[in-house]
Amino acid sequence: MEKREYDFWLLFTVLVLLGMGTVMVFSASSYNALYYHNNKFYFFIRQLIWSALGIAGMLVFSKLDYRRIASSAPILMVISIVLLILVRIPGIGSNINGAYRWFNFGPMSFQPSELAKISLILFLAFSLSKNADRLKHFFTGLVPYLLVVGVIDGLLYLEPHMSAIILITAVAVIILFMAGARVSHFVLLALPVVVLGWQIVMSKPYRMERLLSFTDPFKYKQGSGFQVVNSLYAIASGSVFGRGLGKSLQKYLYLPEPHNDFIFSILAEELGFVGSLTVVALFLLFIWRGMRVAMNAPDMLGSLIAGGITSLIALQTIINIAVVTSTVPATGMPLPFFSAGGSSLVFLMSSVGILLNISKGSQTTILTLHKGGKADPAVNHTLTKRKVGDY
Amino acid sequence: MKDRRYHQKKSLKRSSTKSSGSGRSPSDKSKKEVMDKPTSIKLKKREFFLLLLFSGLLLFMLYRVGYIQFVKGEEYQKLAYLAQTQKRQINPKRGTIYDRNGKGLAISASVDTVSVNPIGLRDEVKSDENKLREIANNLAQYLDMDAETIMKKFNMNSRYEYIKRKIDRDVGTKVRNYLSNAKIQSIYVDEDSKRYYPNGKLASHILGFTGVDDQGLSGIEYVLDSTLKGVPGKIMNEVDVLGRQISFSNERYVDAIDGYDVYLTIDETIQHYAEKALDQAMLDYNLKRGGTIIVMNPNTGEILAMASKPDFDPNDPDAMPDYYEDTDWGGFSDPEDSQYLWQTVFRNKAVMDTYEPGSVFKAITAAAALEEGIVSLSTPAVCRPISLAGHTIDCWKKGGHGSEDFLHAVYNSCNPVFVNVALQVGIDKFYKYFKIFGFQERTGLELQGEPSNEEYRKNQHADPKEIDLAVTSFGQRFQISPIQMITAYAAIANGGNLMKPTIIKQISDSEGNIIKKFEPQVVRKVISEETSQTLRGILEGVVAEGTGKNAYISGYRIAGKTGTSETLTTKTDGRYIVSFSAIAPADKPQVCVLVVLDHPQVAMNLRTGGVLAAPVAGRLTEEILEYLQVERVYTEKDKKDMTQEVYVPNVTGLTIKEAEEKLKAFGLKYTVEGNASDENAIVRSQTPKADFSVPQSATVILYTENQPEVTVTMPNLHNKTVSEATETLRQLGLNIRIRGSGLVTAQQYPAGTQLKKGEVVEISFVEMIGD
Repeated sequence: MEKREYDFWLLFTVLVLLGMGTVMVFSASSYNALYYHNNKFYFFIRQLIWSALGIAGMLVFSKLDYRRIASSAPILMVISIVLLILVRIPGIGSNINGAYRWFNFGPMSFQPSELAKISLILFLAFSLSKNADRLKHFFTGLVPYLLVVGVIDGLLYLEPHMSAIILITAVAVIILFMAGARVSHFVLLALPVVVLGWQIVMSKPYRMERLLSFTDPFKYKQGSGFQVVNSLYAIASGSVFGRGLGKSLQKYLYLPEPHNDFIFSILAEELGFVGSLTVVALFLLFIWRGMRVAMNAPDMLGSLIAGGITSLIALQTIINIAVVTSTVPATGMPLPFFSAGGSSLVFLMSSVGILLNISKGSQTTILTLHKGGKADPAVNHTLTKRKVGDY
Repeated sequence: MKDRRYHQKKSLKRSSTKSSGSGRSPSDKSKKEVMDKPTSIKLKKREFFLLLLFSGLLLFMLYRVGYIQFVKGEEYQKLAYLAQTQKRQINPKRGTIYDRNGKGLAISASVDTVSVNPIGLRDEVKSDENKLREIANNLAQYLDMDAETIMKKFNMNSRYEYIKRKIDRDVGTKVRNYLSNAKIQSIYVDEDSKRYYPNGKLASHILGFTGVDDQGLSGIEYVLDSTLKGVPGKIMNEVDVLGRQISFSNERYVDAIDGYDVYLTIDETIQHYAEKALDQAMLDYNLKRGGTIIVMNPNTGEILAMASKPDFDPNDPDAMPDYYEDTDWGGFSDPEDSQYLWQTVFRNKAVMDTYEPGSVFKAITAAAALEEGIVSLSTPAVCRPISLAGHTIDCWKKGGHGSEDFLHAVYNSCNPVFVNVALQVGIDKFYKYFKIFGFQERTGLELQGEPSNEEYRKNQHADPKEIDLAVTSFGQRFQISPIQMITAYAAIANGGNLMKPTIIKQISDSEGNIIKKFEPQVVRKVISEETSQTLRGILEGVVAEGTGKNAYISGYRIAGKTGTSETLTTKTDGRYIVSFSAIAPADKPQVCVLVVLDHPQVAMNLRTGGVLAAPVAGRLTEEILEYLQVERVYTEKDKKDMTQEVYVPNVTGLTIKEAEEKLKAFGLKYTVEGNASDENAIVRSQTPKADFSVPQSATVILYTENQPEVTVTMPNLHNKTVSEATETLRQLGLNIRIRGSGLVTAQQYPAGTQLKKGEVVEISFVEMIGD
């Protein structure tokens, strides 16, 4: 059997990003950790442990055949929905700042929305890879999927968890789009979504204020604009080469949780435009390799999963930087591989594992194609596929 | 592009085979094979599209980062710096304001200011309420404050609050010691300075006052604020959001630069004389609207003194004025009270008010006529009521003074004569002088509040007709400011140069180096040296013989002119503004003095410049000339009129006979109380006591018995002549000291006062002359 390789650049990029992220978590969190936990390594140690678990998760999932994982997608979907219901029940889910998003088990915590994201990607890919033709029909094809997404969104809305709604909806639409849904159908749907979105925004005063504070964060400097303003201060202070690693001033409690959603601001402050450019370049590399895996996937299932996972990570990255640069209204979006994140990091790294697994498959195909020489590519290809399947 | 083609080609090949394969025998395939649905071209296209979309968006985000760092960088960095840096200001020492001789009029003392970083303090004590309270109580004791007030500040959501500003240095030191012993880091004692005015109300309108932040709010403090205030220093710390210093940063210290010192042209002594004279006039005449006195050096335009009443104490500017009654006086915190203060006591009437100058202005009319050669001293004139444009213009003396020469027309201040003279000068030429003497523009004195050129012109005839010219000739129906009036008189005094009045002599730094010196500035030549000289001679005669008689001081040559101005309310409430403008000495002028008294509340017939303002100006000028060590030169008439003063010798313990001889040698008379027949009786006591200065003709009362001194009741001498008053007092056994001539206007003690027999009573007389 041919020796199969992971996509090297994908793996490389992810490990470099995770390494940089861990260093930045330490730099950004040390003062906060000292202040709140009397130990400047508090967040750093946790991040190291979670990174280790994440890498472990990545390795495990890179070995598991994505098809087998995908075949359990419907069950994962049901579990996700059950957990999303449970988390909303006071006493089972924890109320943090008025939202029920977490299950707490002692030092560990877990967000069912994290599971829901990956489950939905797997479920949609699994189902669409079989029923892609039906997507051409609006009511029989597209609508049923949208209803599934709608159920999850509805549950997330009850938590409430806006950023997860945005992310899940976006990823779902992207997968449907990849699978061949008609663009005209989305255009048709956009109108009611905009109306609904507007209703949601208007329903809670803090959402409206967040929206307004994005247009002029300085006007709301003492309130909802506080974080964004301090984020802008941090980024601006970075200039070309930054203040130097560890020399951020904005991490001195100006940015309330500098190691979480606003870690990019601290990075921009300490490492400047050069550091930001490096990180963006790494993410570009990641997205390219991820999409390459999708395009070269051995089958539609792998392609949709790889595309979905890459899109999920790309979207989070884009939205996170958009928030910290005050390009879009503030929403709680962590920066993949950087934000200190606990169990979500394990989900993220596991997703990367799945991606790697798919890359293995695709590379095998390519290798076979090339090595096969004169053999009929189609036959060769099918054969390889079977082999992989049996493997 | 190359890449893309490569992908597409490859996928094309593969998917075509795949779809045909699956289409061939779908039923044969296992479930797994159905799942292995091949990737389509469309899928790859769409994935490639997503790759481009995400890359584009991510690059746009990078652009946003760059935009914030490079386009908005400087702006945000500045704001970030402000937020991240705790800055405590060190106030510079405000420059001193000195008089022309270096006497401090406004001084800044070094004090301390106590402030707190409330967030930092609460964090320091770990929000221990008891600990906070303990600190508040201790501070309250040192600072003499309410502990609750301090607690409130401790609980504020800020990083900088004043606790108490401008405390004495020794208190500051105590607080410093307490803080260092208690190891409290979030309470600071920093250097500060506090303004004070050692002379209280003296020159308050010139000096002005400062606010809590040492900022000048009026007067020189306001006008030269930027010169006086200096540059604040800073103590800067990079801090966390709680205001605690970040470990790797250093405290940076920028020294404050002290403000420059200002030397005024004011002479503290002359200022004191002027204020005293005006205060006395306020009392004597019960001035309803206060008054102003300006003393100027006519040769340089320097203001030597400038007083304005009512006034205030710049140490406590918003205190309730003495004469005012308000049970809930709020000072600056009450907008109504504040407005009241600005409209009354803060108002520098010398530059801010305008008034009709009245006959004082006749000097300008005379200057124009003399300069134009229309009149000479001997030009015949007739003072008789004249009719012009339906108005009858009469002299202040009913029916006028009849035939006289121009000289005497000035002495007598005859309105009809001035009207005729002005008409001869003509509208164009007359108003040319009006203009060049500076009445249509601000003088440029360095104090705020002088009307603008437009404001001045608003109260003057824009397009003068003959009747306007007529009334202007004797100073009615137009308004000017006192500072303009005295500046014009200075031009008459100094040989014809209109000077720019100035109140600032020089500006120096704290080491005494001169930064800027103010040199006299001639605005323009207005009349010839000859006209100046002639006019001074005429005005000297006004004081010696004419309506200015009450300003006469023997030994000094004072030139001057009286003025009595009607106001809009004269007919209803009898408000007159009486004034006198003096130049002295007339032959070699050193000072000009302008006295303007607003709404004296005395008998109606006394409300004239000649009666009320002239003596004030005369006495003040006398004091100033004495201070300036101008030697008196007595005329023959002076010598004749003068009563010598002598010091009473000690005759107690002598016999009557011996005492008589001794007193006779001093030219004094005596009366014996008790045993008068025995010339060997011993004098037990005497009134006045030894070494008292008394007029030479005085009578000393001698007591031969040990008895209480005999007392008499002071009578009311009002409106008595010199001889009547002298006789009345003589009969009572009191000695008189005569001031002035004419009728009694003031007596040293009010009627009814019990006085010792033999005491000297000073009685002021004034000539009952108009205008």
